[in-house]
Amino acid sequence: MEGIVKRFPGVLANAGIDFSLSWGEVHGLLGENGAGKTVLMSILYGLYQPDQGRIFVRGKETRIRSPHVAIQLGIGMVHQHFMLVPRLTVLENMAVGWEPRLGPLLDRRAMREKIEALVEEYGLEVDPDAKVEELSVGEQQRVEILKALYRGAEVLILDEPTAVLVEQEVEALFSTIRTLKEQGKAVVFITHKLHEALEICDRITVLRKGKNVGTLSASEATEEGLAEMMVGREVVFTVSPEPVKSEGRVLLSVEDLSARDDRGVPVVRGVSLQVYDHEILGIAGVQGNGQKELVEAIAGLRRPTSGRVKVGEHDVTGRSPHTLASRGLVHIPEDRHLRGLILTFSVEENAVLGRHREPRFALGPWAQRRSAIRAHAQELVRRFSVSVPGLSAPARTLSGGNQQRLILARELSRAPQVVLAVQPTRGLDVGGMEFVWEQFLKARKEGAGILLVSMDLDEVMMLADRIAVMYQGEIVAVLRRGEATKRELGLLMLRGKGAVD
Amino acid sequence: MGILSLNLFISALRLATPIALVALGETYSERAGVINVGVEGMALAGALSCAIVAYFTGSPALALIAAIGIGASLGALHAVWSVYLRADHVVSGAAVNLLVTGFALFLTRVIWGWRGTSPSAPTMNAWILVGVGVFLIALSQVYIFRTPWGLRLRVVGEHPRAADTAGINVYRTRLFYTVLNGALCGLAGAFLFNNLGRFTDGMVGGRGFIGIAAMVVGNYRPLPALLAAYLFGFVDALQMRLQEYIPSQFSLMLPYILTVIVLAGFLGRAQVPKALGKPYIKEQG
Ligand SMILES: Nc1ncnc2c1ncn2[C@@H]1O[C@H](COP(=O)(O)OP(=O)(O)OP(=O)(O)O)[C@@H](O)[C@H]1O
Ligand SMILES: [Mg+2]
Repeated sequence: MEGIVKRFPGVLANAGIDFSLSWGEVHGLLGENGAGKTVLMSILYGLYQPDQGRIFVRGKETRIRSPHVAIQLGIGMVHQHFMLVPRLTVLENMAVGWEPRLGPLLDRRAMREKIEALVEEYGLEVDPDAKVEELSVGEQQRVEILKALYRGAEVLILDEPTAVLVEQEVEALFSTIRTLKEQGKAVVFITHKLHEALEICDRITVLRKGKNVGTLSASEATEEGLAEMMVGREVVFTVSPEPVKSEGRVLLSVEDLSARDDRGVPVVRGVSLQVYDHEILGIAGVQGNGQKELVEAIAGLRRPTSGRVKVGEHDVTGRSPHTLASRGLVHIPEDRHLRGLILTFSVEENAVLGRHREPRFALGPWAQRRSAIRAHAQELVRRFSVSVPGLSAPARTLSGGNQQRLILARELSRAPQVVLAVQPTRGLDVGGMEFVWEQFLKARKEGAGILLVSMDLDEVMMLADRIAVMYQGEIVAVLRRGEATKRELGLLMLRGKGAVD
Repeated sequence: MGILSLNLFISALRLATPIALVALGETYSERAGVINVGVEGMALAGALSCAIVAYFTGSPALALIAAIGIGASLGALHAVWSVYLRADHVVSGAAVNLLVTGFALFLTRVIWGWRGTSPSAPTMNAWILVGVGVFLIALSQVYIFRTPWGLRLRVVGEHPRAADTAGINVYRTRLFYTVLNGALCGLAGAFLFNNLGRFTDGMVGGRGFIGIAAMVVGNYRPLPALLAAYLFGFVDALQMRLQEYIPSQFSLMLPYILTVIVLAGFLGRAQVPKALGKPYIKEQG
């Protein structure tokens, strides 16, 4: 790709980028949120047309008019938000558009055999007849990769594939990537985790503000060097919380809480915990051990089957998120598209979402104070450095990381007593992570209690004053900072109570 | 033997046919993501054009073709409005209904000088159309769930962007199935005309909407929708017999009351296609 330029109203997403990919290489693509990684790769995949620039595929200049053309050229892309139909089976999702036929019918048998051959070849275990909606995120990603390979991908673009995976799954993905590489295929690997890029990539390209600031071979790169290239300044990878003294007030108390998941299986079983003032309580656990449902039950998004939730003195069990917010509890949800933002609404509308009824922003139930809303949005965008095309641009047009910043800005600006945060740094660049951590520590210093759910053990260990380990719906251990090593925590997460004896 | 005779079950099948045809058509278009509430109008237009062509040419076969053709054209009109011009699907469908109702009054008046009715005209045996309907429904069950085209249809209504990346033309697919829906509504209208032997402007009488209800009850699957349509047809046949015993004003309400009750039970459970009623906008730039 040569001199790729792409403008959107108000932003120059790609400002003349050169990018090359050779056969048999894994090429890392790094850069801050909004640097233009996704846009550049979407151009290669035919989703967007570049305003300027040329693309050469196998040495020949090519116009990639649509993803369908890209696929025919052997280019496949796995998006961060999957292109799968939840209600259809794995087989149907993979077949569509390239169906093997038996007379006028879809030849399911032949398709199943093809899938099994691919599964065998790349070690990507999936059940062809399972419905996609029943699969975990990691499994869905495997389906997406298989789908691309089934369609003949020789070049595979993976947009932040590891953001949704747990450690073991990352290992499995890496071994698939290595297989692809051995076959002489090319992989573009977008990530915010520098150590991953160093581990798996041959070359690494860093983008900043729509420009290529350098391509270097992974062997000569270091985490510090890459981070500096990305952000343009030195970045810290760790923050050290200064000791603050808790007054011993319980801000959030959960008593014997139980809840079921969407299928009605009890997945939270009698959880009790307290969050004190000036404290971060981390919840560690492998994904799918009830953390999601626990947080939803606390946040008023899921009806608990038993137990109580109190914010301060007030019993708020089963009350609406709006009531909870008025008691000082804010929620930074895991799924930013489903719960965090309304993608088709503008940045300013999203900035006051949930607060739009406050007298500051509304004149009675019928009218909005547009200028107050705008001023507030302006302020948030500035203070939390969210980069946006404009305040009236739909939230959909923000890069993933900036969507997350907007949510954080909205929630933390309410001076909350209690913060419920789930995976708050997922998809954020190194600068963004540093920023979120600082914001949390600031809220803690000001007296807030934070319940932090994260699959990133390093993050939990660094920030949390106490760590509760959740395993199969129960809290199996609560440890103070420094009481356990990473290995011990990992074992508790994987095996529960019986792990440390 | 009273009310429940074999005859009752047979006439139920006849009464179910137009409902089932509409349900089938709507299944296709909604699976592709297009809501079509214009089915009433499309069926009425089918019945009217059938009557006109039969009256002037004396050929029931030509009349049938005309009915299907008019239905398909109205389907195309609705598709252009809703798919290409991105009008609200319900508004566009309602416009079709209004348009046809007005035209029916106008044309009957101009042609026969009567307000809203035609004299009797040559017909074909309506049982042929019952057979055609049942055959099409069985065929569609296989088509939707077993063929590559059926798979593409389902993906277009659930996740148009995924369909697009797989090289499927979302717009054209939606146009095609909306036209097909119109054609099937026209066929339903043709049945109504051949069943009665002439045209009256109230002859569709909500059967289009009941067809949509049958589709919901059948959960967007042709054969279950046929069963649902049969249930509605059965109640319709039953109420006709009941008119001997209770005032017709009451018995006539029965099919509609049943629709409301059954819909209330099924509406929440049906697996509505994810992209239903949403315009597809290609990623621009
Ligand atoms: N469809 C669109 N319309 C308008 N602006 C867009 C659109 N898509 C992306 N942008 C803008 O282009 C810029 C680059 O976005 P891009 O998604 O490529 O960032 P990214 O490097 O992938 O960031 P992240 O790490 O947060 O995913 C951002 O400022 C974004 O707001
Ligand atoms: Mg991105």
